Amino acid sequence: MPEDPARPLLELKSIRKDFGGLRAVDDVSLDVPKGAIVGLIGPNGSGKSTLINLIARATNLSAGQVLFNGENISDLASDEVFRRGIARGYQEPALYFKMTVLDNVLLPVKDQRGEQPWYAPWRRYWQGDEAAHAQTAVDVLAQVQLLQHYDTLASDLSGGQMKLLEIARCLMGRPELLLLDEPTAGVAPKLAYEIFQQIARLRDDHGITLLIVEHRLEILFDFADYVYVMHLGNLLAQGKVDDIASDATVREVYFGD
Amino acid sequence: MINIDIVATAIAVLTLFGIYSLMAISLNLEYGVAGVPNFGKALFVSIGAYTAGITYTRLLPLLSGFEVIHPCGPTMGGALQLRSEIMATQPVAGFINLGLTMLIAAVIAGAVGFALSYVTLRLKEEWFLALVLLVGGETVRIVVRGADDFICSHNGISSVAQPFYFLDDPRTSSLLFMLLALALALLAYLYSERLIRSPFGRMLKGLRENEDVTRGLGKGISLARAQIMLIGSAIAAVGGALFALNTGFVNTNDFVVTLTLDVWVMVVLGGIGNNRGALLGALLIALMDRFTQVGAIALNMSGSDVEFNYVRFIAFGIILIWMLRYRSAGLLPESRLTTGAHDVVRRVLEK
Amino acid sequence: MPPALLTTSLVNTIQIGSLYALMALGITLTFSVMKLPNFAHAEYVTAGAYAALIVSLSGVLNPLVIMAAAFIVGALSALISQLAVFKRLEGKEVSLYTLILSSFAVGLIIRYILFLMADYFNLFDLRIGIPLTIVFRDGSLILSNLFAWVVPTSIVLVVLLTLLLNATPLGREMRALANNVNLARVIGIPVERVKNYTWLLVGGLAGVAGALWGLQTAVHPLMGWGAIISVFAAAILGGLSSFSGTILGAYVVAFSENTVMLFLNANFGVDLAYKPAIPFIIIIAVLLIRPQGFTNLIRRAGDLQR
Repeated sequence: MPEDPARPLLELKSIRKDFGGLRAVDDVSLDVPKGAIVGLIGPNGSGKSTLINLIARATNLSAGQVLFNGENISDLASDEVFRRGIARGYQEPALYFKMTVLDNVLLPVKDQRGEQPWYAPWRRYWQGDEAAHAQTAVDVLAQVQLLQHYDTLASDLSGGQMKLLEIARCLMGRPELLLLDEPTAGVAPKLAYEIFQQIARLRDDHGITLLIVEHRLEILFDFADYVYVMHLGNLLAQGKVDDIASDATVREVYFGD
Repeated sequence: MINIDIVATAIAVLTLFGIYSLMAISLNLEYGVAGVPNFGKALFVSIGAYTAGITYTRLLPLLSGFEVIHPCGPTMGGALQLRSEIMATQPVAGFINLGLTMLIAAVIAGAVGFALSYVTLRLKEEWFLALVLLVGGETVRIVVRGADDFICSHNGISSVAQPFYFLDDPRTSSLLFMLLALALALLAYLYSERLIRSPFGRMLKGLRENEDVTRGLGKGISLARAQIMLIGSAIAAVGGALFALNTGFVNTNDFVVTLTLDVWVMVVLGGIGNNRGALLGALLIALMDRFTQVGAIALNMSGSDVEFNYVRFIAFGIILIWMLRYRSAGLLPESRLTTGAHDVVRRVLEK
Repeated sequence: MPPALLTTSLVNTIQIGSLYALMALGITLTFSVMKLPNFAHAEYVTAGAYAALIVSLSGVLNPLVIMAAAFIVGALSALISQLAVFKRLEGKEVSLYTLILSSFAVGLIIRYILFLMADYFNLFDLRIGIPLTIVFRDGSLILSNLFAWVVPTSIVLVVLLTLLLNATPLGREMRALANNVNLARVIGIPVERVKNYTWLLVGGLAGVAGALWGLQTAVHPLMGWGAIISVFAAAILGGLSSFSGTILGAYVVAFSENTVMLFLNANFGVDLAYKPAIPFIIIIAVLLIRPQGFTNLIRRAGDLQR
């Protein structure tokens, strides 16, 4: 398929999700252009996290389509979606808490020969690859300042470090698109800003596109290129940061003024 | 007083240890490492034993150039005699038969484990898998018991001689059988250690810790689960074949839920996720079994009516609860095993 | 299949189905309120049966006294397993498999204590000493006094239980626990106490089922364990959450084991030795094909959730 430079990396077309009688996401269409940092905001229960889950295929769509690089990924399983290049973080850090930091980031590396049971008992088949992945992990962990903690159990990290480890874990899968669900939840304000600086570098240095759900608008607005606003499962508004920040309806649902 | 033959007791305990080790290692791979709750262990062990029952009655005569005598019903005695004769005089046929038994048992059990793992993917809740395996094992047992021609229904097959039966000295022959069991257990141990210390092992632990996240990180978890079920079931079936050769009987009554629980106790007692723990658990249960037998004899000889076996089960239950409550990680908790990547990083940092 | 056989098997279906219902309701209740698939449930049945047997051997032949004794012993063994084991595991974040394993362990302990006792006092395979009489005979339809006891007692107990769940404060609290334990705690429901009452109720019903069971067959330390899979099959048919579904499930299992099995035997030559496989097949089929069982098919006030 010829690559269309104008084509958005991710396109949602009339996405819908019903939980029993409740419509959590109602007819949402949005685009995420390549190389952008896109914010997704809205009050609690507006369907943002559900939207992330739908894109990552952690839950099934009730209707609509998700296109990634022009390919319809609506019917793929979540492991396939990851392999296509979409990685995701969770609102509550979902790390392997009983594994070391290093094992946490090595696990998602794609196509490891040593993951096949017939090669696994014979080190010589995978030792070289493993050492190379460890080198990559050194770089990635250094970037999020977790290198010196490589042998620590994930459960022993601080909240902010857990968030960073989760991002590092995603990076090891070499994603094109990173979905982050409140990357600064439960983190001190100063550290929150640092996390966003890291996120900006992912885009600037690695060309990773980002879709970020975030409550700390003051930080998000400093970094995002474009913002979508959700309310009660619908897309309420969209636009550049400045337009959204001054939009009257957005202010009304979001800030209540 | 009764005299205890220490050498014979040691041989018996160590043989049992080898056999139990195979079962415990297989469950440790499945549940301890990958988190797959195989409550159908008895099924996979029984596949090994039934295979032995079939091969020693049907294949062995063919291998040594005799006509097969139907092992059940009126010809039972003749078949039994033929079996003993071949085992006593034709060691080569016996060994070929042994090798084929192990192979066939491992293949069948592995295939069943692999297939069951996929069938149970549809289950709504995770613990239903435990229930289906538990129940599936019992169903197979009832069906096998009901089938007259398979392993002779209720009667089972007796006098399945062990492979060193041809030796004149029974002690040497049981010693060699013990060494065989221990050697197979050692192989299984080394194999599973290597498996755990690989990226495959890391993925399995990820599967155990968080299934959804592991899938979300691009891993085909259904396949991984089926693969570990295949490996675990094959090892368990080899243990089952040895079990049948050791007791000399193949009878469906041996493969009830209690056997599954025994294996679970070994793993929980020794340490979930730790192969050495599985070995320790197997040793403790083998000792306990042996001393239960000795204790039962001693009690009977002292004129007591109390059935010592009952006490064994009560002790079993108490140990299990005690471990779950106070030492849920087992006697030897899981140690941090690594693929060697940590050494690479450490060397980088030291520079 | 000869009509006489059909009639007998249907009578058996009703009689055994009623007993399965009594036991399976306990499984459903424990699973809903305590989130525990309790494999030790079988042993409360056996304990109750032995209590009934011992009372009857001591010369008391009043069925009500016998059943009361069975209720008390069953209830106490359930409460003891909760207080001594399950409650102590709850506080530590244990996996469901740990709970399942511990319920097996509790079952083992109770069962083999009963074995020891039966061995010591020679109480194997005795019947509870109420003589069998025929209360109704019409052609091939023969009803014994057992039927007259088992069926009405089961029905009365099931009705009482349903009333208790729907019309009493305790029942409301139990349903609150079934829906959401944390929420129940927050709104001030004495969770531990409600759980203890639930265990007493569950164990007591199992005990009475054991006594009734012991009236029709012989009492043996394995009798409860022998029925546990059928009982689980009934509860799973009820989706482990629906009361009416569980009761229906109990009769379906009993019908399959009796009437269907005889039918298969008479018409297709299926050996009766395969009868124990029936509940297993039901469980596997339900879990794979329709894990919610009869729920959503029949919705009644007795349902524990939603």
